[in-house]
Amino acid sequence: MRLSYQSRITASALLMLLVLFLIMSALWFPRTDRTIKVMDLLFVLDITQSMDVVDVEKDSDTISRLTWAKDYTRQTLQTLPCGSHVGLAVFSESRSLILMNPVEVCDSYHDLTQMIDKINGPMAWALSSEISKAAFTAIDQAKLMKPKPSVVFITDGHESPPLHKTLYPKYKGSAGQVSGVFVGVGGDKLVPIPKHDLDGNDVGFWQENEVLHQDVYAASRGDVSEELGGGVSRTEHLSSLKQSHIKQLATMLDFEYVISPSKPTSLINTLEQNSEHRDQNVSYDWSLWFAAIALFILVLLYSPYNRSRDGSVSD
Amino acid sequence: MTLLGLQWASPMMLLLLPLILLPWFTHNQDKIVAWSHFVPIDPLSNVIGSTLKVLASLVLSCLILSLAEPYIPEKKIERVGSGAEVIVLVDRSRSMDDAFAIKGQLLMRSVGKSDSKRRVAKKYLLEFVNKRPDDRFGFVLFSDQALDLLPLTYNKATINATINASALGKGLSETNIANALIKAAEMYEGQTYRGSRIVLLVSDGGQEFDEEAKRQITALYKRENLSLYWLYMRSVTGMTLEESANDNQRWTTTPERKLHRFFKSLEIPYRAFEIESLKSFSEAIDEIDKQEYQTLIVEQTLPREQKMIPFFWGALLAMLLLVMAQFYTAWGVRKAHE
Repeated sequence: MRLSYQSRITASALLMLLVLFLIMSALWFPRTDRTIKVMDLLFVLDITQSMDVVDVEKDSDTISRLTWAKDYTRQTLQTLPCGSHVGLAVFSESRSLILMNPVEVCDSYHDLTQMIDKINGPMAWALSSEISKAAFTAIDQAKLMKPKPSVVFITDGHESPPLHKTLYPKYKGSAGQVSGVFVGVGGDKLVPIPKHDLDGNDVGFWQENEVLHQDVYAASRGDVSEELGGGVSRTEHLSSLKQSHIKQLATMLDFEYVISPSKPTSLINTLEQNSEHRDQNVSYDWSLWFAAIALFILVLLYSPYNRSRDGSVSD
Repeated sequence: MTLLGLQWASPMMLLLLPLILLPWFTHNQDKIVAWSHFVPIDPLSNVIGSTLKVLASLVLSCLILSLAEPYIPEKKIERVGSGAEVIVLVDRSRSMDDAFAIKGQLLMRSVGKSDSKRRVAKKYLLEFVNKRPDDRFGFVLFSDQALDLLPLTYNKATINATINASALGKGLSETNIANALIKAAEMYEGQTYRGSRIVLLVSDGGQEFDEEAKRQITALYKRENLSLYWLYMRSVTGMTLEESANDNQRWTTTPERKLHRFFKSLEIPYRAFEIESLKSFSEAIDEIDKQEYQTLIVEQTLPREQKMIPFFWGALLAMLLLVMAQFYTAWGVRKAHE
């Protein structure tokens, strides 16, 4: 049945009136509150010398583990929704040093990225790399912050001096109070570690006889040493991504882990599932939705193939 | 991308712009007539018809442009304020974990306690930062190494967070003040001179510099036009930086005295505050606060500004006319049918 000319005119007048109301809504409809999930994070970057190993593939380039860690942190900052807070810390020796407590990512994006740029190997204050203890101190310091952030610990898992199979450091606090994720970085092959002096000058590679191949306690005690069968493998001057150690630490601390993630979303998803997040109110502007509907109706109205004329739309 | 002097957040929407031609192709409201030559040529009707089409195109284009989310990007403007540019150097060495040296009291190590020198420094530095709205702050972390952790910034949140972080955990190894002073001065290098430039050193010990470091510091501090404040958190009971008649014999050669003498020889504005208690720290901070209000050029960032409203208004006005015309038509047609 075809619409009469008269009702067609009236119908389009009414539709146009609707469009007018939609445009008025776009102008004057109030913003409404919506909640988004935001997180508080403390990024801890491993800056020990094994992180200077160049064995991470990225965009057909091979970069050092630390460069990758800094890049990844920066990308994650970009991906996090505004309202999230991020703090920065570095780890060397046996502790995590907090550089900046968590700040809001969007407002402080510039300063955060500037600080990430400044993070480098030479700022390390000692040469050992006791990841477990550093993770413990990161957790202890995270507990002191309000709101309590989740810890993102980026490391290759290389402990130096190495840990004994059973006599490894254990966390004295209660695990699970602070949630967190280990991010593993590094290649699978054992490769030499570049050696720097304390001023950051390049002095070749670490040699086999310059590092401890056994944990300090076992090395000093013949009996424990023999338990191991005497056959201590001497590869501690070489480094690869120690996945099993990272997993073991994660289990002990009730953390999650992601190994060599390619996108920041894999870390963020893991965090969203396992970490505390806060709801933050943001005022949402609906005007674009009104404008889009108004545009849609107008396009239908002015479409040359308006079907109401062919009678396919009944009165 | 830029168009009409604006930035567009969703420029892909602009691909819809050809839709504004639709009103010129549509005939759905024309009445069917047996033969179009029956319709008399009426110039006024033609003008009105075209006007309505122009209005319709205008509404469409305004809506499409607003959907492309026009905005004026954030802008940096400079205004004249008063204050200073301050680089804060906080000693991160282990001795800062101790409490103040108080006469007749044993030196106590109080890691993580609220009376450690590092905590006290944090508290008053935060107070200082927060009562100076126009100042630009930078932060150098130093122990053995010096790291220009936070380049000069107006962002109070980040400087607060950095100072807060400096009070967490235990101290690091030793102190190298010379390195830190050089690093701080270098942070001003290459920056336009905006007003009073301060290096605020908070430490609990002195150090004798080698000749090379002295030469470098003297040159840098003069060239960059810096003032130096030293908040010396006393760790030896009773010792003053200035020599006096009834001095203990051992004090004349202490590194603190030597450092103080060197600072005085720099020929730059320099002042030392000897701090032995919470009270003297807050007085020192107040004193610096009072002195350092000079004209300063402040850079301010104007936030990004959405510019959809004018387009909505354009759409609204054109649409209003169209609606009126359409209702008038509807009314006219109805009359004709009666």
